[in-house]
Amino acid sequence: MSKTILEVKQLSKHFSRNRSVLSGLQRNRRTEIIPAVDNVSFYLRENETMGLVGESGCGKTTVGRTILRLIKPTSGTVLFNDRDITHLSDQELRPLRKDMQLIFQDLDAGLNPKMRVQSILSEAVSVFERLSDAEIKVKTRMLLDQVNLKYSKLSSYPSELSGGEKRRVGIARVLAVGAKIIVADEPTSALDVSIQAQVVNLLRELQTQLGLSYLFISHDLQVVELMSHKVAVMYLGKIVEMGLTEHVSSAARHPYTYILWSSLVGKLSLEALHPLKLDRRANWGVFDFERPTRGCRFAPRCPVYERLGHPAECTDPENEPQLRDVGEGHQVACHFPLGN
Amino acid sequence: MKKYTQTSGEIGDFSQLPIWQKYAWVDLLYVSYGLLIVALVLVSYMFGMLHWLPYDPQQINMDMLMAPPFSQGYWLGTDFMGRDIQSRLIMGIQAYFLPGLLAVSISLLAGVMLGILSGYLGGKIETVITYITNLIDSFPRLVLILLVVAAFKPDIYYIMMVMGITGIPAVATAIANKIRFLAQKNFIEAAIALGLRTRAIILKHILWYNCRALLIIQATLGMGEAILLETSLSYLGFGVQEPVASWGNMVQSGANYFLQGNFWPSTAPALAILFTILGFNLLGDGLNNILEDRRGR
Amino acid sequence: MAVLATQPLLKIENLRTYFYARSKHSFIRAVDGVSLEVGHSETVGVVGESGSGKSIAAMSVMGLISNGPGVIGGSIRFTGRRVQRDLLEGLDKFVNVKERHGRVMVVNKDEAGWQKASERQMKNLRGKEIAMIFQNPRASLNPYITVGEQLTEAVQLHTLYKTRKEASDRALYWLEQVKIDSPRLRFNSYPADLSGGMCQRAMIAMALSSEPALLIADEPTTGLDATIQSKIVNLLEELKSETGISTLLISHDISVISRLADRVAVMYGGAVVEYGQSKLVLGEDASIKHPYTAALLASVPSEQQIRDKASLQTIEGDVLDTINVPAGCRFYARCNQITPEINEKCASHHPELREISPGHQVRCWRFSN
Repeated sequence: MSKTILEVKQLSKHFSRNRSVLSGLQRNRRTEIIPAVDNVSFYLRENETMGLVGESGCGKTTVGRTILRLIKPTSGTVLFNDRDITHLSDQELRPLRKDMQLIFQDLDAGLNPKMRVQSILSEAVSVFERLSDAEIKVKTRMLLDQVNLKYSKLSSYPSELSGGEKRRVGIARVLAVGAKIIVADEPTSALDVSIQAQVVNLLRELQTQLGLSYLFISHDLQVVELMSHKVAVMYLGKIVEMGLTEHVSSAARHPYTYILWSSLVGKLSLEALHPLKLDRRANWGVFDFERPTRGCRFAPRCPVYERLGHPAECTDPENEPQLRDVGEGHQVACHFPLGN
Repeated sequence: MKKYTQTSGEIGDFSQLPIWQKYAWVDLLYVSYGLLIVALVLVSYMFGMLHWLPYDPQQINMDMLMAPPFSQGYWLGTDFMGRDIQSRLIMGIQAYFLPGLLAVSISLLAGVMLGILSGYLGGKIETVITYITNLIDSFPRLVLILLVVAAFKPDIYYIMMVMGITGIPAVATAIANKIRFLAQKNFIEAAIALGLRTRAIILKHILWYNCRALLIIQATLGMGEAILLETSLSYLGFGVQEPVASWGNMVQSGANYFLQGNFWPSTAPALAILFTILGFNLLGDGLNNILEDRRGR
Repeated sequence: MAVLATQPLLKIENLRTYFYARSKHSFIRAVDGVSLEVGHSETVGVVGESGSGKSIAAMSVMGLISNGPGVIGGSIRFTGRRVQRDLLEGLDKFVNVKERHGRVMVVNKDEAGWQKASERQMKNLRGKEIAMIFQNPRASLNPYITVGEQLTEAVQLHTLYKTRKEASDRALYWLEQVKIDSPRLRFNSYPADLSGGMCQRAMIAMALSSEPALLIADEPTTGLDATIQSKIVNLLEELKSETGISTLLISHDISVISRLADRVAVMYGGAVVEYGQSKLVLGEDASIKHPYTAALLASVPSEQQIRDKASLQTIEGDVLDTINVPAGCRFYARCNQITPEINEKCASHHPELREISPGHQVRCWRFSN
């Protein structure tokens, strides 16, 4: 069993939204609190991929940014190699950037439009070490080899690259500093289908070659299933189910996970086969994470809640379902998990 | 009727095109005219500084009052006191050149600093800076200048300092907006995540790569504005005082004789003002389109 | 009525829509000789990656392309029950195209004249006979007017329900038809209060409210969450069987196309590379397919592959940008089925769309014999 490299404990991030224009200077200003991430805990081992899935607005991106401390968490701790990095200053944090990197969803992030690929990569290579020009040249070429880009692309500007090439340069930039953990935030969603497959293969090759650990954030369930050893499913800022990929995808216990996976357009036939007949006309309420929720967050959309005749536990504000183990490290936060 | 032509053959490689095909001809025309004017102003400024002039600009020649252009070595003629207009025009550049640079540097330096503070740090600092810039913006520039002139003395450097300060908000807002735009594209976040130092992010990525065009444009436009302000104030008698030459007071003193048919003492500086300001503004405009890729999409 | 029996509802022939990349001084050959047919009560899917020209083709049909060279050739024949006309009739006199070696080099266009004539051709068609739904439904709804109000307006404008009462009843009927939950409540809400899926439903309701003969759905599920996507696909499927509306469905998502389409056109680099019955084009047998279609299908991971965590099949290289269109086959650089015998032809000549079995056309030299 390999070593745990990253551990996240009870991480929360609440955003506040100011009500008035002037409130920037006021004390005691009235603000709305939006819990984007609420009590999220998980760990990541070396050479392992953890998938984080959920619909847009569920807070999965915020989790990634908070771990990298691009956003300051409201509470909770992030341990990197057993060292608490939650309260480090920006100065203390800088050396850690060498080990933890982020791949952005936006293909152009980090690619200065006025710089050629050569200068983008040499800058990234020399962030943490002083290198001679010759060493920089060798290292940038090595990076291009790793991401399968032609050397001729070194003299291109980002605007002259295609989407797939931009993504490769973005990955090379992240590898340049020698990262161990890579948070990949929707790395394929801005790409064409045929290019997506190239990038997924590349990320997996790099993992075996360099022993990387990924936190793979995506709404694309198929890609997550393919990439990840473990999966956590988020709903409105909370992890509702977590476990090994094959358990979560094929033996989901939380109704939300089940709906998520069976809603894959190609997979619809599965729905009919499942012993539990879900009501197709389930109430799909307005998807709104600012609305105060009482008890289980998923209850308003939950077909099981509907079918069981609105049991009181589900909406009891004192008794929000917590993650509990249902065997083999498979955790689920539901009062009435499926498959019993 | 619009015409579209494929000029670059099979493979449209933009970067290998000659410069006149890359950009709109009108922009190139603007820029070349502007550069010509700037060069002319610079060279004339040097001549003036070294006193390499046909005549002493303040020397009064009683034999040659109101000599028309092209008479006896006076290329542009003389004014009502027999002073050489050509020499006075060249000396007139001294009146605005350094003060104009001062005004431009004040607005650029302070504007860049405030812009970075407000755009990069955000939060309360941004609010405070917005208040400051709004405050500066809400004073009419001319009233401020008249106040300064009344309180101290009608010195062009004081006036240009006021001009520089009132130019800060425009620069600060432009820089802050640029930073906000970059932040929106995850640009700054990506640089932080990579581990770059804040200093490198601000100086190299934000200012050098993404704001230099903007700053050059602001500088040229600011210079044009400074010339306009200096000449108008000198015309009104608040700026550079006789007998020191300034295009503004030359127009003013020549204007009295305009209706008598002696048009050249006021027309020559007026045209100089027109072409110079046009030059600076067109240079700014053309550079804006070329450097910021406004037309060439 | 005899016309209806013989003519398809929409017949696009040799459509060419170009743009102009000013900075590169070249044409973007977004749609380069596309022919398509949509029969009555038929759903035709157009599948392709970004830059394949699928959306531009749809927008050309709607007459929404006005800037640049735009539609420079071809015909779009619409044969509805109420209206029959060629949408591009008389427009060619505003465009003058000069070609060299079969390649467009100069386009002279009277844009104002073209625009005016196009508007005249599209009158009573756009939004009435041909309705369109877009990728981003929220952006297509006016945020300051309630959903019901916008729907009512559309009904009053395009149908015989002219009084306010009738029109709003009809609007409500359509909201029910698209199975929006609590339609009476949604009727009075603003677009901002609706989720993405509900906005898309409202858009579909609005498109259907004029009872169009043809619905053009441009990436109707893209950008929606997975759970919502499948609901929208279900809805489109139900509407198809209930109303029998003809649909031109455009998507990059093969699974959506394969669920809904009767016939499929696969586009690559501005041209249709394969066209035919859905089950032939997207079926199992890879030997009778265009190499691009085959590769595209293979790059979608199967459940078995996912379970085994197998490496995904990829198409090497990059999506063709339609600025640098090669002289030969557009897929040449990425094709993995080139044999030595046809290599030369592939590199130098653009293949024609050829019928390889009844109702199944492929643009590939492999099938040229």
